[in-house]
Amino acid sequence: MTETATPNPPREWPTLLGDNARTGAQGKRQLHMPEKAAWQYRAGSAVRSAPVLAQGVLYVASASGVLHAIDAVTGASRWKFESPAEVHSTPSISVNLILFGCDDGKVYALEQSSGQKVWEAVSQAEVWASPVVRNGVVYFGSADAKVYAVDAGNGVAKWVQELGGKIYSTIYAGEGQLYVGCGDGKVYGLEAATGKILWSTLTGNGIDSSPAVADDLVLIGSEDFFVYALKANTGEVKWKFETGMGISSSPAVSGDLTVIGSKDGYLYALDTHTGNLRWKTIVGEIVTAPPVLGDGVVCIQAGGVFALDTRSGQIVWRAALAGAIQSAPVLTDDSLYMASLSGEIYALR
Amino acid sequence: MDRRSFVKAGCLGSASLLVQGLDPLLRADSVPTAAPPVELHGFPNYKPSPLGMPGLFPGRVVEARDAQAIVRNRVSQPIVRRLLDQVMRELTGETSARDAWAKFVEPKDVVGIKINPSGAPACCSSPELIREIIAAVQSVGVPTRNIVVYDRYSYEIDIGSYQALLPTGIRIVGIQDAFSGAGNGYEPLVYCDANFFGEWETRSYMASIVAHDVTKIINVPTMKDHSASGVTGALKNLAYGTFNNVARTHRAPHTFTNPLIGLMCTVEPLRSKAVLHVMDGMRQVWHGGPLTQVQDYIDQTGILMVATDPVAMDTIELQAIEKKRSERGAPSLWQRDESSLTPDSNVFFHDPTKNLFFRQPGHIAAAGKLGLGVSDLKQIDHRLISA
Repeated sequence: MTETATPNPPREWPTLLGDNARTGAQGKRQLHMPEKAAWQYRAGSAVRSAPVLAQGVLYVASASGVLHAIDAVTGASRWKFESPAEVHSTPSISVNLILFGCDDGKVYALEQSSGQKVWEAVSQAEVWASPVVRNGVVYFGSADAKVYAVDAGNGVAKWVQELGGKIYSTIYAGEGQLYVGCGDGKVYGLEAATGKILWSTLTGNGIDSSPAVADDLVLIGSEDFFVYALKANTGEVKWKFETGMGISSSPAVSGDLTVIGSKDGYLYALDTHTGNLRWKTIVGEIVTAPPVLGDGVVCIQAGGVFALDTRSGQIVWRAALAGAIQSAPVLTDDSLYMASLSGEIYALR
Repeated sequence: MDRRSFVKAGCLGSASLLVQGLDPLLRADSVPTAAPPVELHGFPNYKPSPLGMPGLFPGRVVEARDAQAIVRNRVSQPIVRRLLDQVMRELTGETSARDAWAKFVEPKDVVGIKINPSGAPACCSSPELIREIIAAVQSVGVPTRNIVVYDRYSYEIDIGSYQALLPTGIRIVGIQDAFSGAGNGYEPLVYCDANFFGEWETRSYMASIVAHDVTKIINVPTMKDHSASGVTGALKNLAYGTFNNVARTHRAPHTFTNPLIGLMCTVEPLRSKAVLHVMDGMRQVWHGGPLTQVQDYIDQTGILMVATDPVAMDTIELQAIEKKRSERGAPSLWQRDESSLTPDSNVFFHDPTKNLFFRQPGHIAAAGKLGLGVSDLKQIDHRLISA
């Protein structure tokens, strides 16, 4: 491991794609091409989820079931937590807790500073989706086809709602509504307080993608090759856009720009309100990871890491690191953190 | 620390060495003369099943095709359902699909569905077909908890999104992690031992899920050419998807897929448990297999084949891929012209006249000689059902 000090502690990135609105690095300065790897950390097994960052610590779950807390400045290990099964879930931060789902069907809440387990919430099948925290409630979907809402402080269940198929999509928690994709091919709108199904909209195949919300639109991809924009209050399809293959990537939204990858290898930039194609750029053979939007650039892991100009889709730079197609980078003012399928974690500056 | 422990410990930082034994694209220093002896170690005193390969219907292959089964690269669920129903009834002579499936699985079975996700998403075992197979197995009375969909590499299963696309309650298992070598899902007492190119680890172990967990296997190969073995069909999907450390049998431009594929399929309990082969020919890769994503060489053919005899099935597949290559002006899979070789996989993927290895389609006939089935086209009962 090489170490290089950085003068500023990194900014926060407490959940998948930065925050509950999945804004990524928007608002930060334009991401320049990294010049060097500040450090490299070996997790020991594949990483199939995305890192998160809080209070100067990067949290990464490896598929073998270990949650790593890594000093974001030095790359040194702070602590490790070994869960009893594989982990594919991107962690989330809730105040002083770090939460993640596990293949043993549980969501674990650990003390952020020490890695000590505080509580666990139980479902009946693996939890690959990231737990999402809003207003003191943790929401997560499970492969047992149920959505769970538990108290963020103690993990006690508030409600459980059964849907029609397995859930690998990470819930989008709005102020009063939740949105999630499901293996039965439907996108669901749920009442956040009760879990009541408010609407559901059928697509042409199962859904692996996680939704984003822009204005009154829920944006999501489906394995039926289409990107959908649904009206958030009714589920009515406003537009849909066809790609060349199934979509398990998730959309990143910045105002009127929506960017999403497809298994056809392209990254697509669409007009959020009309679905019109602005550009598409091939970045690899397959794209399944969600893109991350920064100011003027969009980053995607697709065999390597690519940064594209959001206006033109031109590739600004690429790094032949982090050969993962399922993870998403963490972008900060001066650093980029990435995890790879081979279990390497990099801090680039 | 014995030699194997040392090898595993020493290779922790090199995923390809640990998992593959050798980088298959390493060049051979010299031309190997002949295949080395291969020691096979199955479970001693294992009682073979009469359902084991070549199974209940040696030499019979039933094929159905419907051009509407795949439209704009999407597989039609209802058409696949109908095709599967038709071919199963024709294979068995039963009037109902349920009775046809009941010839192969019983309610007490633990059924493994061996998919081929390599090459996902462009060409892999279609989730739509797997859903229908699951429903058929359930129709016989096998509980959902006793159905497991599996393959070697979990990351390839992820790319195919099988987890999200298959029904709730179905277990989906990736035996090992290809990139970091994690996973101990192999049975140490069942293995094939041979030294092909001087590799340190000379054993390939059988997956525990095959050795112990499942009682029946429904094999779902795809219809593709293969840069080393000529085609990847029922035999290769079973053999190289069940045993680990198999890429060591290739060192460009040479490969020992013949005879290892057939030999592996004779090892018990794999031979007895693999009772049915359902070939997914919705898409047909005629160049660049098994991993290509280049759509130029993938035809949307809408074919479905079933057989209990993997040799007969692969013989029909080989004939079909050969025909397709001939139609497209690509050289035969049997070609052994040195000028066709390239060490560059990017060149290979985009040029049908190039290949990485001297292909070994003879592995199918070799498997026939081992008693796994019929490889003589004149003796194969190839039944075609048109839409």
